Amino acid sequence: MFDIFNVPANIRFKDFDKKVYHLDNETYQLRYPILKTSDIKNIILEIKQNRLEYLSQLPISNVITIIDQAITRWTDPSYPQRQLALKLLPVITDYDAETIKLEIKRFIRLFRKKELFRFIENELPQSEILDDFHPQRSGSMVKAFGPEATFQVFSGNIPGLQIWSLIMTTLVKSASLGKTSFSEPLFPVLFTQTIAEIDPQLANCMAIIPWHGGTVSLERIATENTEATIVYGSNKTVQSIRPLVPMSKIFLHYGYKISFSMIGKEALTADLYTQTIKQAVEDVAIYDQQSCLSTQAIFVENHGVITPIMVAKMIAAELANYQTKRKRASLTIEQSSAINRERTKYQLENINGVSVQVFTSTQNTDWTVVYHASPGFSSSPLNRFVHVFQIDHLEDVNQYLKPYQAYLQSCAMAVSPTRLFTLANQLGEIGINRVSALGEITRAKPGWHHDGHFNLLDLLHFIDVEPNAEQMSEKYDPDVE
Amino acid sequence: MLLQNKVALITGSSRGIGAATAEKFAAEGAFVIINYLINTVAANDLVEKIRCAGGQAVAIQADVCDLENVHSMMATIKDEFNGLDIVVNNALKHYSFNPKTRKTAELIGWSNYQDQLDGSVKGTFNICHEALPLMTLQNWGRIINISSNLVKFPLIPYHDYVTAKAALIGYTRSLAAEVGHLGVQVNAIAPGLTYPTDSSTDTQNDVREKIIRMTPTGRLTIPTDIAGTATFLASNLANNVTGQCICVDGGLVMQ
Repeated sequence: MFDIFNVPANIRFKDFDKKVYHLDNETYQLRYPILKTSDIKNIILEIKQNRLEYLSQLPISNVITIIDQAITRWTDPSYPQRQLALKLLPVITDYDAETIKLEIKRFIRLFRKKELFRFIENELPQSEILDDFHPQRSGSMVKAFGPEATFQVFSGNIPGLQIWSLIMTTLVKSASLGKTSFSEPLFPVLFTQTIAEIDPQLANCMAIIPWHGGTVSLERIATENTEATIVYGSNKTVQSIRPLVPMSKIFLHYGYKISFSMIGKEALTADLYTQTIKQAVEDVAIYDQQSCLSTQAIFVENHGVITPIMVAKMIAAELANYQTKRKRASLTIEQSSAINRERTKYQLENINGVSVQVFTSTQNTDWTVVYHASPGFSSSPLNRFVHVFQIDHLEDVNQYLKPYQAYLQSCAMAVSPTRLFTLANQLGEIGINRVSALGEITRAKPGWHHDGHFNLLDLLHFIDVEPNAEQMSEKYDPDVE
Repeated sequence: MLLQNKVALITGSSRGIGAATAEKFAAEGAFVIINYLINTVAANDLVEKIRCAGGQAVAIQADVCDLENVHSMMATIKDEFNGLDIVVNNALKHYSFNPKTRKTAELIGWSNYQDQLDGSVKGTFNICHEALPLMTLQNWGRIINISSNLVKFPLIPYHDYVTAKAALIGYTRSLAAEVGHLGVQVNAIAPGLTYPTDSSTDTQNDVREKIIRMTPTGRLTIPTDIAGTATFLASNLANNVTGQCICVDGGLVMQ
C-alpha cells in the first residue's frame, strides 16, 4: 500500500479509494483520499498558515539549499524513493523503463543548486529581493512577493515534469497545492517526501493530491482560495479551469503545443548523416512524443549527400531499431485508431497521385513516417508518428508554419553557425520560443522561458519603496541630527 | 519444426540469453532442460511459460563447475530422456559488465581470471565431458558454446572475462577437431553486448550508445537474436558446420 498524496501532517482524510497495479509477483495498491470541497479549503488554509510561519521567512539561499539537498538524494541510485519511482512509473505510465530511468536521471539534474541560481538570476536582478528590500538603480527599495498559495494542475504525460512547477513555486516562497493526474500521480509525492526528510516544515507548505480532472466543485474552491493557478495539460484542461479563476488572480497555462525539427544540408554530409538520423529519431521516440517539446514534423533540406526521401527511410529504419531497444507504450483504442486513420489518409493520397509516401511498422502502430515531397507542415497523432517534409531552403519554412503559429513551441536544429541565429530570429518572429540541438528537443534547459514566458517573474509582484518615503522616515528618527 | 523431438540442455537458462534460447528451442519442438544454479523461481516460471505455449521443458538445478553435480544431472537426463542431442553452454560466473567498475590490468588478480576460467571453460568442459558419451552413442550431437565478440574486439577490456571466452574458442575448435567424425558438431556463438540481461544492466547508456554508433545495424543484440543463431547451429540446417564461431553483434566484428 502506497499513498499517492502528500499533505501537511495536520490534515486527515476519512475516506479513501485505491488503484491497483501488478508488477512481477507483487501487487501495489496506490491509495488516495476521496475529497470534499471542505478538504481542499482546509488544506489551503493549512499550507498558507505554514507558509506564513515558515517559508515566507526562510531566506532564499536556504530554500535553494534544501531543494539542492533533495535533488542530491535523487542522484543516488540506491535512494529508496528513486528506486520506487523507477520501479512503479513504468507500470503506471507504460513508458519504457529504460527511457524513464535515463530521462529522470537527466531531468532531476536540472534543479541542482547551480541550476537554481541560473533560474533565478535569469529573471531577477538579485535573488535576495525575495527576502528583503534591496535598492534598485531607480533609487527605490524593492522586495518581491510570490503568491501566498499556488494551485497547480499537473499533467500526467511526462513523469517527473511536475516538479518543475513545484520548484519554481517554492522559489517564489509560495505554498503549493498540486493536483496530480492519475496518469502519473507518483513523482511529486515522492519528491515532497524527500523535502520532508530534509525539512518537514517546508514540506508542510506543500500538498499533492490526485483527483479526476474536471471536478469543478474542487477546482473552483482551489482557484478561489489561492492567489495563482498554473495549468499544464491539453487545451481542454486549460479551458475548463480558466473560467474558474477570478479576474484578479494570476492564471498561467501551458496547453497543447507543437514542436518540430529542421535538418540543414550541412548535417547530411557523408560523415555526419548517420548521427543526424539518430538524433532526429531521439526527438520523436523519447516519451513517444507525449511531451509538448517532442518533434512532430521534420524539415529536411535538399542538396545534402542524402536526399530527403532517403532521410525519411532511414528515420523509419532507426525507429524500427528504437522499437527493439525501447518499446513504445501500448496505446488505447482511440490512440491506435488515430494513427491508423492518418496512415490511411496519406496512403490514399499516395494512390491519388499526391507525392506522399508512408513508411510504417508492419501489423502494428509502433512507428510511422510520412514523407512529403512538397514542403508543408502537419501535426502528428503522436506515439512515434512523424512527418518528413523536403524543402529546398530551410529559410522558407515560415510560410508553412504560419497557420500553426498559435501552437508552435520548440525547434530542434542541425544547421551551420552562419544560419543558426538567422533561422532562430525568423522563427522567433512567428512565436517559436525555443531552439535546441537536434536530438535534445525533449530536454529543456534551466532558465528556459517556458512557452516564451518567465518561470518566476510571472508569479511575482513587487513593492517599491520610493526614495522620498525613505527620506521622510529618516526625519522621524528621534535620534537623527 | 527445426528441432522436433531433440533433447536439449541449456546451462544457465533461467534468465537472459539462456532463457530466450530455451523458449526458442521449445517452440521449434525440442524437449528443453533448463539448467540453473540458484534461481529456482525463475527456472520454474520459465518451464511454466514454455508449457503454456505448448512446449516441453523441465528445470534441473546443478552447478556446472562441479563435476559431480554435472554427473548426476546427466544421469537424470539419461534416465529420463534416454539420450541428449543438443547442449548450449551458456552458464557463466556472475559478471557485471560495468565499464566504470571493471578491474584494470594493474588491479586485477589471478583469482578473477580463475573465476572466469572456471565459469566459462571448466563449466563447459564438465558438461561436454559428461554429454559426449551420450552423443557419440547415437552418432549425433550438437554443442554450442557461448563466447563473446570481445575476444576479437575488446572494446572494453574486461580482462578476466575476455581471456576465459578466448580460451573457450580454443576449446571449441580443439573439441570439434576430435569429435567431428563421431557425428558431434561443436560451434561457438560470439554475442555482442546483449541487452537487456542481468549481466549487462550495469552497462551505462552512454557506453551502449557508443557501441550502437559503431554497429552497422544500429542496435544492440537482444537475447532472441542469440536464440536464433543457436537454433540454426542446433538444427540440421547447420549440417557439416563445426569448429566455427559466429558473431551475433549487428556486424560490429566482421571476420
